[in-house]
Amino acid sequence: MKLQKNKLTALILIMIAMLLPLIFSGSSYFVLIFCFIEIYIIGVSGLDILFGYCGQVSLGHAAFYAIGAYGSVLLHKYTGMPVLVTMIIGSALGAVVGAIVAYSCSKLVFHFLSLATQAVGEIIYILVSHSPNNVTGNYVGMYTDPVNLFGFKLDSEYKFFYFALGCVVIFLLAKQFLVNSKTGRAFTAIRENVHAADGMGINVRAYKVKAFATSAFYTAFAGAMFAHLVEYVSPDSFLYKQSVMFLTMLLFGGSGSLLGPILGASAVLLVNESLRSLQDYQMLVYGIMMLIVIVVMPGGIFGLGKGVMAKIKNKKLNGGEANA
Amino acid sequence: MYLTLLVSGLVIGSIYGLIALGYSLIYKSSGLLSFVQGDIMTLGAFLGLTFYSYLGLPFVVSLLLTVACAVALGFALEKGVIRPLLNKNVATVYIVLATIAISYIVQNGSMIAWGSITLNFPSVFGVGTVKIGKINVQPEALMCILVGFICMILLHFYMTKTKLGTSMRAASMDAMAAESCGIDVSLSTGISWGLSAGLAAIAGILIGPIYGVYTTLGAVIGRKGFSSAVIGGYGNMYGAIVGGLILGLVETFSASRVSSTYKNLIAYCLLLVFLLVKPTGIFNEKAVQD
Repeated sequence: MKLQKNKLTALILIMIAMLLPLIFSGSSYFVLIFCFIEIYIIGVSGLDILFGYCGQVSLGHAAFYAIGAYGSVLLHKYTGMPVLVTMIIGSALGAVVGAIVAYSCSKLVFHFLSLATQAVGEIIYILVSHSPNNVTGNYVGMYTDPVNLFGFKLDSEYKFFYFALGCVVIFLLAKQFLVNSKTGRAFTAIRENVHAADGMGINVRAYKVKAFATSAFYTAFAGAMFAHLVEYVSPDSFLYKQSVMFLTMLLFGGSGSLLGPILGASAVLLVNESLRSLQDYQMLVYGIMMLIVIVVMPGGIFGLGKGVMAKIKNKKLNGGEANA
Repeated sequence: MYLTLLVSGLVIGSIYGLIALGYSLIYKSSGLLSFVQGDIMTLGAFLGLTFYSYLGLPFVVSLLLTVACAVALGFALEKGVIRPLLNKNVATVYIVLATIAISYIVQNGSMIAWGSITLNFPSVFGVGTVKIGKINVQPEALMCILVGFICMILLHFYMTKTKLGTSMRAASMDAMAAESCGIDVSLSTGISWGLSAGLAAIAGILIGPIYGVYTTLGAVIGRKGFSSAVIGGYGNMYGAIVGGLILGLVETFSASRVSSTYKNLIAYCLLLVFLLVKPTGIFNEKAVQD
């Protein structure tokens, strides 16, 4: 019964999403924003697997975003493989790097893990902005081709939107499948108590590696999508603040849920876009809003909604008892 | 040649050390990670420049005023943002994110207040260079190294010999036990945040005359400061300065001997290597929280 209801909600959400470009068909700017939101939903969902379910923090997800983007763009440029293939190879590359990071950092606890991942983010940024022989175009960046879907070029925002929507559905379904599986339960056990999980016979290191690799794959794929949507990559998109942005979106939406990343990515991106007109004051206002949100509602939108629902339910229950 | 490199390595090293001292102090007293140090350093440089150059105050007075402002800011941050969050018992990641948000505000705020061009910090001593042996050295560079060492020693004595410092260490070991012994835990963590902001401001005003003052001055140095804190042993006062000096020297020498393209890479690689191989650092500092 519950599953049926969830399926229905998901179906309605997808229907609404499919209608969005038609509603905003007059302005390609809005459709572009929706494309970015879809990309961020995939990226943030990746971070959610790592942080929301497995409890491992990362302040360096921009690194995987960059690996996906540059991996795909460079492979496409130097080997001429079709874009869709290079996107997947680039994401796999991100997953490998994520696995290496997780394998070596599996003993580190929260604070030191965040420092280590931050360092990884900085190292990747420096590598792509000072690449040997200028293979990545360094600070100038480089142009690339749009996604080519078996001969069908996704060269406009509208076409890309539906392609990205498909990707979002696939990735979210995969995520839901993952977190409900044995692996997902092991992740949650590690998040709740590492020692207890270890005692139950869960191979903590192996599962941390799995979580990191999956998370990196998601974020790297988002990076590859980003690169082939704007058809241009430069190191500016992979700064430290990009990692912070992923984490902000996740916490703002609410971690450890399916809807959280969707809400967080949409809300933060829309806010950020609307602050663009403030120019010099953009980061200031953004910082202040971030701070207020953290202090006022540390559960994110999803957590806030949950809290309100619980309160209403409680009231109903209490009211019922009083009447009886 | 080597001597020049040695001096410039020591200068940037003591700046890293001062920033790392602040990280260690906050970690020792509250077990938290702060990402604002670097931007408070920028703010310190701008404030020092304003007091010294625009208002024409003597250098020592402007240094003290800047430090006082930074200490007040650090204290206010702890009282206004960090303490309420701690009282709410939120996950640590929110506190990390809150400090990042504050760093955005400070960085962007100082850009709005002072503009985004590099400002020139006038010379402090009036003389261009002093001669040591065969090389010429900026007197500000020597002051930088000296002040770094003085801060480390003062802080060590403060933590081990004074009542406030002892209560701070007690509060970090077990907040509830310290509270029941009559220690004002909230006050002692507030003071430690204030002190580390003060240290960052000193670093800013010291580096200003050498590097010039601009809004992203502290962001990179702040991130590299983590590396020196980890090298020395996160939470150790001597470790912070020693780690800073090691990082400064390695960076400067390898930049001139090998290649300067990947100069910024060294700090992060050292950070990773130490975290993976020897997370307790040179001074074998046990992390406060597991």
